[in-house]
Amino acid sequence: MKFVLKSISKNSGRLGQLRIKQSKELQTPLLLQTTKGGSIPYLSAEVFDLVSQEHQQVLQLTLSTMDQMSESLAQWNRSLSDYVGYPGYNTLLLLRDPCETTPTGGNDRDVVPLFTRHGKESLTAARYMDMVANFAPDVYQGLCDADTNPESTKKRVQKSVDRTERFMELCYEQHSKLARLKDSTLLAPIVGGYSTFARTQSIKHARQQPAGSYGGYILEGFHTNGLAATELKAAQLLPIVEHCVQQLEEEQPRLMPGAYTPLLLLELIRLGVDVFDSSYAYCAATNYKALTFSYVRDKAEHAAFLDVTDEAIKEDFKPLLEDCSCLSCQKHTRAYIHHLYKTHELLGTILLMIHNLHHYMCFFEAIRASMAADQLPELIEHVRMQNTTAEVNYRIEPNNKVVGKAAMGKGFIAAAV
Amino acid sequence: IPPLTYKVVAECSVSKARAGLMTLRHSEVRTPVFMPVGTQGTLKGVLPDQLIELDCQIVLGNTYHLGLRPGIETLKLAGGLHNFMGWPRAILTDSGGFQMVSLLQLAEIDERGVNFRSPFDNSECMLTPEHSMQIQNAIGADIMMQLDDVVKTTTTGPRVEEAMERTIRWVDRCIEAHARDDDQSLFPIVQGGLDVPLRERCVSALMERQVRGFAVGGLSGGESKHDFWRMVHVCTDRLPRGKPRYLMGVGFAADLVVCVALGIDMFDCVFPTRTARFGCALVDSGQINLKQQKYKHDMQPIDEACECSTCKRYTRSYLHHIAASETVSSSLLSVHNVAYQLRLMRSMREAIQRDEFPQFVRDFMARHFGRDPIPSWIREALAAVKIELPPDAAQEQTASS
Ligand SMILES: [Zn+2]
Ligand SMILES: [Zn+2]
Repeated sequence: MKFVLKSISKNSGRLGQLRIKQSKELQTPLLLQTTKGGSIPYLSAEVFDLVSQEHQQVLQLTLSTMDQMSESLAQWNRSLSDYVGYPGYNTLLLLRDPCETTPTGGNDRDVVPLFTRHGKESLTAARYMDMVANFAPDVYQGLCDADTNPESTKKRVQKSVDRTERFMELCYEQHSKLARLKDSTLLAPIVGGYSTFARTQSIKHARQQPAGSYGGYILEGFHTNGLAATELKAAQLLPIVEHCVQQLEEEQPRLMPGAYTPLLLLELIRLGVDVFDSSYAYCAATNYKALTFSYVRDKAEHAAFLDVTDEAIKEDFKPLLEDCSCLSCQKHTRAYIHHLYKTHELLGTILLMIHNLHHYMCFFEAIRASMAADQLPELIEHVRMQNTTAEVNYRIEPNNKVVGKAAMGKGFIAAAV
Repeated sequence: IPPLTYKVVAECSVSKARAGLMTLRHSEVRTPVFMPVGTQGTLKGVLPDQLIELDCQIVLGNTYHLGLRPGIETLKLAGGLHNFMGWPRAILTDSGGFQMVSLLQLAEIDERGVNFRSPFDNSECMLTPEHSMQIQNAIGADIMMQLDDVVKTTTTGPRVEEAMERTIRWVDRCIEAHARDDDQSLFPIVQGGLDVPLRERCVSALMERQVRGFAVGGLSGGESKHDFWRMVHVCTDRLPRGKPRYLMGVGFAADLVVCVALGIDMFDCVFPTRTARFGCALVDSGQINLKQQKYKHDMQPIDEACECSTCKRYTRSYLHHIAASETVSSSLLSVHNVAYQLRLMRSMREAIQRDEFPQFVRDFMARHFGRDPIPSWIREALAAVKIELPPDAAQEQTASS
């Protein structure tokens, strides 16, 4: 993996180019496609082709949703991306699924818990590296204890740093030994919760490795995934990320997985974080929300979401978002997607996911364009207010509604009485 | 131009199989055809664009479910189901009666219609032939079904005759109430249980009505296969050559092949998409359950010969791993299963056009049953239309020893 910085601006973050193996140049800030079980959630590869014609995206795969494939992959002699149905894509393997809350606990001096659909497995560093070798991803993260959040105690944070150092000793060693990983890039994990002291220690440990030991950083331990990431406060998160970024060498790309709100994501970009994932778009879709925020500066007021469960759109034949060029908006209406929600039909979440991913990919293009024009602060202000009078709330409320009988169409009975 | 024209394109010189072209307002439909079922205005996890890619020409919607949700008022405002679901091609709807009788506990039939309790406020309601037409006119499907008097296929005695007679009386009420005859075609339904004279009388009576096609109903509900094929045979013997024939609720591969030989043109069944949700994929030998451990390291596609997007990209091994955990697996398997059904129909059509249908049937049965004996009902049904199957391998061995 090769990373080239193109520009750094004091206010507008940094633009770069990433080349993974034989891929074309990928522009940073980069959006990774988050997956579950190796598939983009709800979408088959055929459908994702209808969403994006860019054939060299990067898939963010997670061991916690793919652990059971490890043995099969050991027997697979083609690429990991071929196995999951996306030939030609690049793959980046993470330990945890940013789309779901990672349960807390289970960490120990020698093991990291892997929470899968079949329960919990305790991973030693050696076992972890063997599994990674079976997957043979293009890029993968080093093993770390990232079970910290804004509430973690000092002691807990210190443990996460100390354990991660121990795990990483073995990861660095195995990374250079395992034949199946000779073309893979390792990302050094930076942990340490919200403690500047602990973060500094974690960064030091990575930076004292010989040159070429790793090809980038993954910053974890700020949240425990799922909707928790959407609830982080900027005032809390930004100072600690800024502290980290200042100590990282500029030539290495920086990845922060998680469902940060669009506003927080922009602030992180301004600080110099380069790589993110699409888990926010997933979290919105799975809770029946279509992303409708605006990233093109205009005068109209915008809402963060359209709630598809809302009875008010039962007979609304407009697309999810007017002027959106995605397949869902081109061919389907709010009323139809509302109907699919009420009938628990899978196509409803498929159409929402198509729209949300499209919206998020376009958002990233707009971000890069505004950075190139040195106008990131203006974009941030637009996203913050959306031309309304108060700061927009981008938190995703979980959808716990139960579709009741009252939501059924009265027309049938009216016609049949 | 009438909203439905049908012409026979080729006929098998041995059996009653025929290939036809049915032209509807929204699509041309090449028969014999399988119609995937999109109960609630969507085919389980499959986009309309994907169905078009599979060359699907017609899908089925369920009037009862669509009447409940989104409801008739919404469908009217949307300008019909085609607009509502974003499906530009043809649609067929059932009458709603069958689903009521099978899904609602309190449904009762009398001369006026089907009595039922509203599933959401428990009030007493009635679905009459007129209401069924009203609803189906609002849905706007290319082909709609009359409300029929449904009895269990295993029912015997005077109730079967009563249901058959009532079905004929109701078709006249449906024809009378049908408000969009310029856009939509109404099919009557042949009833008569497992009684040959009743079936014959029903066909004759329905043929006196001005209709553009016929459905054969009241089968595929637990009767013996020997009764099943004989009823189909009796009906297709008498139905007019120049109009399409639809056999309701039939979709297993072997049944499709036999019934095409007996002269049926149209089929529907929830099976291909339902079985997909349980991790099952259709193949010539029947179906394979990808959840089974033996597929864990199987690096082949479901079917080497299949051209669907699932078989082009995914291995059985990968599908095995996601079958129980990722919802995308049911979309992937639905696409393959619908592709399988459509491909089977296409190859039958092509065999009929080349006049090689009997050989197609023999090859298919050999692949489908492999070493297992071919069921006697299939042998008898095919023999009735002069398609002889070779003796089973096992029998051959006994005979030669
Ligand atoms: Zn859209
Ligand atoms: Zn296939």
